[in-house]
Amino acid sequence: MNEYFSIIVLPVVAGILLFLVPDKIKTAKGIFSLLISAFTFWLAFKIYNFDEAKLDLKALLPASLIPASLSPGISSFFAFRCDNLAKLIILFVSLFTFLILLYSLVYVRGGRIKNYYEYFMLTLGCSYGAVLSDNLLIFLTFWGILGITLYKLIQGNNEESSATAKKTLILIGASDSIMIIGIAILWKMTGFINMSEIQVPTGTALSCTAFLALLIGSFTKAGAFPFHTWVPDYAKDAPASSSAYLPASLDKLLGIYFLARIVTGLFIPGEWMTLLLLTLGVATIITAVMMALIQHNFKQLLGYHAVSQVGYMILGLSLGSFIGIAAGLFHMVNHALYKSGLFLSAGAVEHRTGKNDLEDVGGLSKAMPLTFFAALICAMSISGIPPLNGFASKWMIYQAIIDFGGGDGLPQKLWVLWLVLAVLGSALTLASFIKFIGGIFLGRRKPEFESVKEVPAPMWIPFTVIALLCIIFGVFATRLVVPHLLMPVTGEFEFSGFWNSGFVSLLVLVSIVAGALIYLATGIKKFRTSDSFIGGEKFYEQTAYPAPEFYKTLLEFRFLSSIYRKAQEKWFDIYDLSKKAVLWCSHVLSNAHTGVLSVYSIWVIAGLLIMLLIMI
Amino acid sequence: MNPLIPLFVAVPLAGAFLTMIFGKFVKNLNRYIGLIVLLFLAIISYYSIVTVSGTVSVYKVGGWEPINGIPIGIYMVMDSLTAILLCIINTIGLLAVFYSFTYISQYTSENYFYALFCLMVAGMNGVVLSGDLFNIYVFLEISAISSYALVAFGVEREQLEATFKYQVLGGLASLLILLGIGFIYWKAKTLNLADIKVALGSAPEKIHYLLVQMLLLSGFGLKAAIIPFHAWLPDAHSSAPSPISAMLSGVLIKAAGIYVILRLFFNMFIISEEVAILITTLGALSMAVGVFLAIGQWDIKRLLAYHSISQMGYVVMSVGVGMILVARNTKPEVASLAIAGGLFHLINHAAFKSLLFLNAGAIEYRIGTRNLQEMGGLSQFMPATSSTSFVASMAISGIPPFNGFFSKLIIIIAAIMAKFYLLALIAVIVSIITLASFMKFQRYAFYNKEVQKDEKSPKEVPFPMVASMVTLGILCLLLSLLVLPQVRDIVLKPAIDILMNSQMYISPILGM
Repeated sequence: MNEYFSIIVLPVVAGILLFLVPDKIKTAKGIFSLLISAFTFWLAFKIYNFDEAKLDLKALLPASLIPASLSPGISSFFAFRCDNLAKLIILFVSLFTFLILLYSLVYVRGGRIKNYYEYFMLTLGCSYGAVLSDNLLIFLTFWGILGITLYKLIQGNNEESSATAKKTLILIGASDSIMIIGIAILWKMTGFINMSEIQVPTGTALSCTAFLALLIGSFTKAGAFPFHTWVPDYAKDAPASSSAYLPASLDKLLGIYFLARIVTGLFIPGEWMTLLLLTLGVATIITAVMMALIQHNFKQLLGYHAVSQVGYMILGLSLGSFIGIAAGLFHMVNHALYKSGLFLSAGAVEHRTGKNDLEDVGGLSKAMPLTFFAALICAMSISGIPPLNGFASKWMIYQAIIDFGGGDGLPQKLWVLWLVLAVLGSALTLASFIKFIGGIFLGRRKPEFESVKEVPAPMWIPFTVIALLCIIFGVFATRLVVPHLLMPVTGEFEFSGFWNSGFVSLLVLVSIVAGALIYLATGIKKFRTSDSFIGGEKFYEQTAYPAPEFYKTLLEFRFLSSIYRKAQEKWFDIYDLSKKAVLWCSHVLSNAHTGVLSVYSIWVIAGLLIMLLIMI
Repeated sequence: MNPLIPLFVAVPLAGAFLTMIFGKFVKNLNRYIGLIVLLFLAIISYYSIVTVSGTVSVYKVGGWEPINGIPIGIYMVMDSLTAILLCIINTIGLLAVFYSFTYISQYTSENYFYALFCLMVAGMNGVVLSGDLFNIYVFLEISAISSYALVAFGVEREQLEATFKYQVLGGLASLLILLGIGFIYWKAKTLNLADIKVALGSAPEKIHYLLVQMLLLSGFGLKAAIIPFHAWLPDAHSSAPSPISAMLSGVLIKAAGIYVILRLFFNMFIISEEVAILITTLGALSMAVGVFLAIGQWDIKRLLAYHSISQMGYVVMSVGVGMILVARNTKPEVASLAIAGGLFHLINHAAFKSLLFLNAGAIEYRIGTRNLQEMGGLSQFMPATSSTSFVASMAISGIPPFNGFFSKLIIIIAAIMAKFYLLALIAVIVSIITLASFMKFQRYAFYNKEVQKDEKSPKEVPFPMVASMVTLGILCLLLSLLVLPQVRDIVLKPAIDILMNSQMYISPILGM
């Protein structure tokens, strides 16, 4: 059997078959899914070593399955393509699926969601399908199915989560519908429907419309401003494994994959479109991180960061240079790693404590050391602390922005602005992760959590592996990871300036060792333990480390406070704004339907007369 | 001469009379007669669609041959478009009858129900098979009158009010249609569709022609619930018993409304660009206004009924785009794509809208309310209803891999290819609002509440209802296959050819 065919069809078929198995033997279903995903992982490795290829139906299916009467037109309609970008994405899709499935074995045992593994498998198959398809219509079909599985992976058994589920599918489905316009315009302009055959400059109004329509699709999936509003809600209400799987890793991989296709393949973005992309990129970084700072719910905090980091990827990709694109893709991979690691460790905390508010937990570092370790690594990584992977990719993005600054256009002249805002975003990220780590793991442990233990192995293995990958990807960034994973996708480029991740890591290691030596040599063995200092106020036993109160002052600035208040009232949520407008129109039109028969009869006659008058 | 053609009308008529005569004596005979009749009809309609493949076969009732090339007597015509409609009518009819096995047992006088049901099916089959205007009118009245009675089947205050409105407005429509037919007969001296086209010639009298077109458009437009002729629909479709709502929304507005408009404007009239633009505008208007009215509803069946208006708008708009291109005589392949989109959506709408009404019926059957605010958490108790309604909701909102996605895709692509960018945009926005209103349905009916299972909690509906819903759900998925060019060429292409090229329709009838 052909690898390309099996990697798409196998998970889908497995998902459909699992629907027939009762949910009572959930663990067995989970193990079966895990085996399938391991097998597709192996297939993905095989595909990764293949050459770039374009495939039609004849190349995909074994000859015995194709009817002889099939016209060549149909065979070429099913166009798939496996280039280096697609191979990269497939590899990471497989990795995350495997790890998160392993985690789910324990995490969803309590029957959180009906048909969990079924939708998981469908997601896997459709993601492979979306990445591999070259025909835009087939791509859109797979892409749309992912919206359904996203909706089904949240339980919806209470008002909040069902509202979130509804909002998520409406936003995702809306973006899919809008994408149809873009695809149809591209088809009309070029006469082609395969991605590999289309390349359009964004010069005319028509091509700009197509560009924007497809951009909306990619932005909604990846969760970028202003179509990001489903991500934080989803992160709050869905089980952590679903959040780690879709919004944190797969949707990012796919959304950014499609963005890369848009800006490097389908279109040649002009100056204004580049400016728009860069503006949306920094807007995404700053708005989301500002919202993240004030969150109390730690899953929602992670959700806002899942939005904010997308901004960096957009920045990188919209620069258009090889290093920029490589940086954007590298950040995408890194983000998927540390964000799913964070969600999984947050899920572990929730699993053991049953709480998901920073106020309710605290001091868990001793009880859950592995979770603490993974969360710490991932948090440092997302905040861009060297030598971890988040630093490596952010650094590449900064480098790319500086290189970009040499040009003549307006976006090039504004390079300092992009750079400053990107660095500011990174600093604010660090600030909010101090709150995250401090609130959950540090401080005093509450008495009700005395008996909390580390989670079982299937849960801690995935996030520990991810944390180790974060370290590896950071330390060997310039030596191994970028040249071997990303340069085949973008093309060769030189790092500008002096930076070598291995050397930096060495420096960090040396300083840590030096610190340890000083600590040991000077014999600081005894240190005083004391209560936390909370501004001179009296310390009560119950009061834990007041992490939720961090950055509360932000809310008290006059200018910011009004913005925050409006944001809490959903004034900036594109979903709520359009909802209000639609319901208003609906109200007006309903009022015209009085239910009086004579009025209705008059409509009929009037309709006839008006039609006659217009026509004659 | 295809001997099957008259059976489409004769068998259900016989079924109706048999039910009334013998139904009283043998218990449950009525339902088996209904089931057997519809099963038979469904089978011969599948046989027809397989065998028809591009040909036009004519059945002359009573064997009256034309004299001097002028058709006299009643002609029944079977072509690909008719065959598609017959398949829709009888498939949905079959499933609705099976669903009624348990659903209608809540009501008294089941005999009347099955008899009227058969009568309605006979009327609809007659409309799509008739080759002349007057028989279209007669069969239209048969189906309309039986549907008036069926809407009022519950004989509650609400149903009676709805059926009264439906009758008055339906009567108005019949009047307009009859007036239009009279005007045609005045000039053309014939009522055979093919013959009218020949008799009125290539340069008809403009005012007369327009008057006739507008009268017929508004008359059949009312049957198809095109805005501003839609006001009867939400009341009638929501008050009827659910299997009947499924028939009305899923089939009747298509067979008696859309089909006739298509047939008349493509095959009987010479398409003029102005009329085509008018039809497209009406379609776009129905699409947009219908969906705005729907999203504010809290009564499930009213919500669904308003969506019928909006979805029929898609069909009319897309076919209208095709008409404009045919009238302009440009881009035939885009015109054919647009009409294909319309027809495809028509078929799909039959599947998912009847499924949604059956779902609504199942919910009402178990918890006795149609108000979304009074339900919640039903996905726990009614897994089959919940999952099939999810399938149908996704299909109507145009989410892949369900059929509605593909027909909307074709419609939007065709609109853009024909450079009607605004229409494409409206279609997309309407699709998004449709999605929003069905997410509302899903959320409030099936989720939203944390519920515990106990003895009092509702159970899944009985087998006949589940079986009908699941079959339709599977159909929603399978109909997606029509998007594949190979399948589309077999099923839709012959019908489109007949519409775009009237000569293919006229020649076999007039024996030219």
